[in-house]
Amino acid sequence: MFYLRGCGRWVAASFTKQQFPLVRLSSDSAAPRTPHFDVIVIGGGHAGTEAATAAARCGSRTLLLTHRVDTIGQMSCNPSFGGIGKGHLMREVDALDGLCSRICDQSGVHYKVLNRRKGPAVWGLRAQIDRKLYKQNMQKEILNTPLLTVQEGAVEDLILTEPEPEHTGKCRVSGVVLVDGSTVYAESVILTTGTFLRGMIVIGLEMHPAGRLGDQPSIGLAQTLEKLGFVVGRLKTGTPPRIAKDSINFSILNKQTPDNPSVPFSFTNETVWIKPEDQLPCYLTYTNPRVDEIVLNNLHLNSHVKETTRGPRYCPSIESKVLRFPNRLHQVWLEPEGMDSDLIYPQGLSMTLPTELQEKMITCIRGLEKAKVIQPDGVLLLLPRMECNGTISPHHNLSLPYGVQYDYLDPRQITPSLETHLVQRLFFAGQINGTTGYEEAAAQGVIAGINASLRVSRKPPFVVSRTEGYIGVLIDDLTTLGTSEPYRMFTSRVEFRLSLRPDNADIRLTLRGYKDAGCVSQQRYERACWMKSSLEEGISVLKSIEFSSSKWKNLIPEVSISTSRSLPVRALDVLKYEEVDMDSLAKAVPEPLKKYTKCRELAERLKIEATYESVLFHQLQEIKGVQQDEALQLPKDIDYLTIRDVSLSHEVREKLHFSRPQTIGAASRIPGVTPAAIINLLRFVKTTQQRQAAMNESPKTDQCLRNADRLQERQL
Amino acid sequence: AVNKAEEPQNPPQLGHLAIIKPLVYLTLRLSLPDALIRLPSGSRLCTRRSSGAAAPGSGATIFALSSGQGRCGIAVIRTSGPSSGHALQILTAARDLPPARHASLRLLSDPRSGEPLDRALVLWFPGPRSFTGEDCVEFHVHGGPAVVSGVLQALGSVPGLRPAEAGEFTRRAFANGKLNLTEVEGLADLIHAETEAQRRQALRQLDGELGHLCRGWAETLTKALAHVEAYIDFGEDDNLEEGVLEQADIEVRALEVALGAHLRDARRGQRLRSGAHVVVTGPPNAGKSSLVNLLSRKPVSIVSPEPGTTRDVLETPVDLAGFPVLLSDTAGLREGVGPVEQEGVRRARESCNFLATVVASVGAQSPSDSSQRLLLVLNKSDLLSPEGPGPRPDLPPHLLLSCLTGEGLDGLLEALRKELAAVCGDPSTGSPLLTRARHQHHLQGCLDALSHYKPSKDLALAAEALRVARGHLTRLTGGGGTEEILDIIFRDFCVGK
Repeated sequence: MFYLRGCGRWVAASFTKQQFPLVRLSSDSAAPRTPHFDVIVIGGGHAGTEAATAAARCGSRTLLLTHRVDTIGQMSCNPSFGGIGKGHLMREVDALDGLCSRICDQSGVHYKVLNRRKGPAVWGLRAQIDRKLYKQNMQKEILNTPLLTVQEGAVEDLILTEPEPEHTGKCRVSGVVLVDGSTVYAESVILTTGTFLRGMIVIGLEMHPAGRLGDQPSIGLAQTLEKLGFVVGRLKTGTPPRIAKDSINFSILNKQTPDNPSVPFSFTNETVWIKPEDQLPCYLTYTNPRVDEIVLNNLHLNSHVKETTRGPRYCPSIESKVLRFPNRLHQVWLEPEGMDSDLIYPQGLSMTLPTELQEKMITCIRGLEKAKVIQPDGVLLLLPRMECNGTISPHHNLSLPYGVQYDYLDPRQITPSLETHLVQRLFFAGQINGTTGYEEAAAQGVIAGINASLRVSRKPPFVVSRTEGYIGVLIDDLTTLGTSEPYRMFTSRVEFRLSLRPDNADIRLTLRGYKDAGCVSQQRYERACWMKSSLEEGISVLKSIEFSSSKWKNLIPEVSISTSRSLPVRALDVLKYEEVDMDSLAKAVPEPLKKYTKCRELAERLKIEATYESVLFHQLQEIKGVQQDEALQLPKDIDYLTIRDVSLSHEVREKLHFSRPQTIGAASRIPGVTPAAIINLLRFVKTTQQRQAAMNESPKTDQCLRNADRLQERQL
Repeated sequence: AVNKAEEPQNPPQLGHLAIIKPLVYLTLRLSLPDALIRLPSGSRLCTRRSSGAAAPGSGATIFALSSGQGRCGIAVIRTSGPSSGHALQILTAARDLPPARHASLRLLSDPRSGEPLDRALVLWFPGPRSFTGEDCVEFHVHGGPAVVSGVLQALGSVPGLRPAEAGEFTRRAFANGKLNLTEVEGLADLIHAETEAQRRQALRQLDGELGHLCRGWAETLTKALAHVEAYIDFGEDDNLEEGVLEQADIEVRALEVALGAHLRDARRGQRLRSGAHVVVTGPPNAGKSSLVNLLSRKPVSIVSPEPGTTRDVLETPVDLAGFPVLLSDTAGLREGVGPVEQEGVRRARESCNFLATVVASVGAQSPSDSSQRLLLVLNKSDLLSPEGPGPRPDLPPHLLLSCLTGEGLDGLLEALRKELAAVCGDPSTGSPLLTRARHQHHLQGCLDALSHYKPSKDLALAAEALRVARGHLTRLTGGGGTEEILDIIFRDFCVGK
């Protein structure tokens, strides 16, 4: 553990790499100057840490402002990372050299890939994480990141200045004012304050404002945002109580063991820090009619479920499960909170019942008959800090169950680079945009960090298209459609699910991250390049090997190749059969296939590529169409409400005005925007470009050309 | 002089219609043969596209009617894309393409049957000097719905061609740097015509029986897909009920059968010539053949005063009020005496299975069966004495006609036009004939995709097959976003953290 609070307010990053110009802020420097950074990140949650390190990786002098350094890396809700869809996001964060995947590979206590039998496109990498280890490892990483400075402090307000004329937006952010009145200037500011805007904790009928006692950091900031005209919505979320490990009778419950071997999250790791046999199990139990009864009899004591605040369509709490799906048994996963933790996290039991009823309900569940619900100590109840997961950071062993209600900013007010339309150089990432989950927050953090940095160096934004990654789907959904419930990643949201797989996130994003964003290390880049060329070579070799099906039968007797045709069968087609892998294929045709089995990852990835080959061919056609539309950029300063040159209905104008889509592709995904409107917009774009080209050297056309080039590059 | 000899001495035995003895039923059968044409298997490859997002695959060659939608002297059908030249060669049965950008007169024929469609002007615009910048062909054909739909069908049967989505021509033109000409008057109208009219037309067609079917299929498929998606996204962490996949599987297989049957029916229709089917039925000696001859203006049937002269079903393609119509004359509805006549009656019944329907529909006064529209025509009105009693007042709605004098023919033609317009779409407001190729294309695409659904293997692949299939159906019905899927998932399953 790092105990940094005693070490003074400023914690400079790694002093080991002295070639980086570090900002000297300590009191030994002569005249006190107003500090100036390239990028300031406000908030040290999952979005904030990724944003700060991404900006620093891109070469920006970055300041991470957080309430308390010792809560950096806090997993404030469930003790797990990944899952179906979320695991995909983590692989993409890792492909951009983000932190969370690598930290998870060092901190997990139970690694398991979900959906093993459903196809590699939907495998969900997941792990139970030791909270303490994660925090430790994350803090070590953060505090050793070159160019990154960490400071404790609460932000009271933004410093706003005149807007840059060449960009849209009312004004420009140029720094922050801290609670103590001091100021810090920066070229870009990223807000990752989670549920901290007007957060309220709900327990039973009690409501408490969230935020540290004595601190009222959110007031000034929230007011400023409101004054600027940001549209705010309200969401709610919750967390379950924790249970003392030694009070649970595990012997009568279903035990789930981890995978052997463990699959690491990061492309850079071949294995995780802990052997499978040393990992901890999870257990499964179920609710019963008694649980229903307690919920239903006590609804009057439960303001969280009664409130009209929009909750998700899915069932986040045991109350909503019982109300919407009565007379059923609901699963409760009992998950370890860490190697040496005495606590168990009952996944599936989020609730906001008054504390005495929580224990009553829990003890009627099988295996939990004698369960001890760990009660929070009285002081902490009012102290918890809001974390970006929408929950309160349970520092130490705070384990209260509660609901949280909080403000979020309608994400249609930000661009796909996560910069706000209203305020230049101000970026939002994480739960503030209406998402839920560590992974969703981390994914936005990386993108915000990269773009805040690119903005400083006046480079074009780094936007991930929905054809390139789950990150792209997440951000495109948020920025074009908005959300009215905490947005969570599902694979069903992804049109090109078979193309955007966990296994190939590096090919999709690492190369671009290196070239377009500069956020990827040389080593990772070279590894991805090697993998890409090896895969391409392997696939073309597999395509070139052709035998008759009878010969294949002799070579690999265990596979029943359909002999409906007398045409020769490619090795690639044989590899499509479930019972064939690269090893068996290389045994049959050692030359030239043997060398592709030496790297296990390569062999596995070739198998996956073969599985999806024919479908991917068709999907690529459609991806091209979407990318063409996305390469057609709409002018940023277009005023949809008043513009005369475009024939648009009033309804369409309002929709476009609010979402401000950046490309024709994004515009066409806004519900209610008709094909005719799209064509008219297209015509407008083309004529605008033409007029500008005639007037000068036309930067816009250049940009479109660049986009077109990039498009071709991306089509691998 | 054909039916002068008709005499009332053999009154038919339909008592309640006895005042006017001869009686002709006209049955318009709603058969949409061109909705139903099977594309050659080669063309399916290009139909296989991924899920919902309406992304015009730029590789395909698209075609559409690009002149106005009403009745007009000349209609222009346009193609754009790499297979345009090939399509032109196939339709003109020529080895060489005509000289570029020159109008040439060519005989267009259906590549499957070899049947001539029209003598038309064709123009070949090799890219990039064309409207869209791609290879384009224009067919200037004679503007009747029969010709237009015939050429569209023929194009749909060429591998690599598919009907254009709304606005797709214009979008391609933009994409290729064409059409920067804001100064061109009426471009907005053109865009509007191409997008909104196509969209409205597609929607209008969905009001009918087929639209009802499509929506039902799309609903079933969306639900099945949502359940498979739920199984993928939540199957491991949340407890879904047992048998989610099995249920989805059953529904998908049932849908496959229904779609298959629909398309097979369609293929049966293909053997008939394109157009609505008008069957003339009625008791012997009612003057059916006379009516057919009157409508087709040429003697098709042998006409004589003897009951039972027509012993076979005669089919005549005619143009009625601009609609392609297959006019059938049937032998009289009486138990024939001779074996030849019996056979004729049997074939008449078989050919349209009309008998029961006719009676039932007429009796109910409202032909509830929308696939069969009936016009009750009472012939030989010339025999009514002006001062005598008129037709019985309890008769269903009917038309009076005299094939002998031609009196009432205009009324009959107008009534026919209305019925045909209801079946085929009114040419003055846009004909669904033009969108049938789309229906065919997407239904077949849906069926093909469903055949790739194998839940036992890689479930992500299986779900992809359903996504593609749903993408095809929702092109016809609208909708199709992922939010619909999520709505169903969260409605049907208890999932969450």
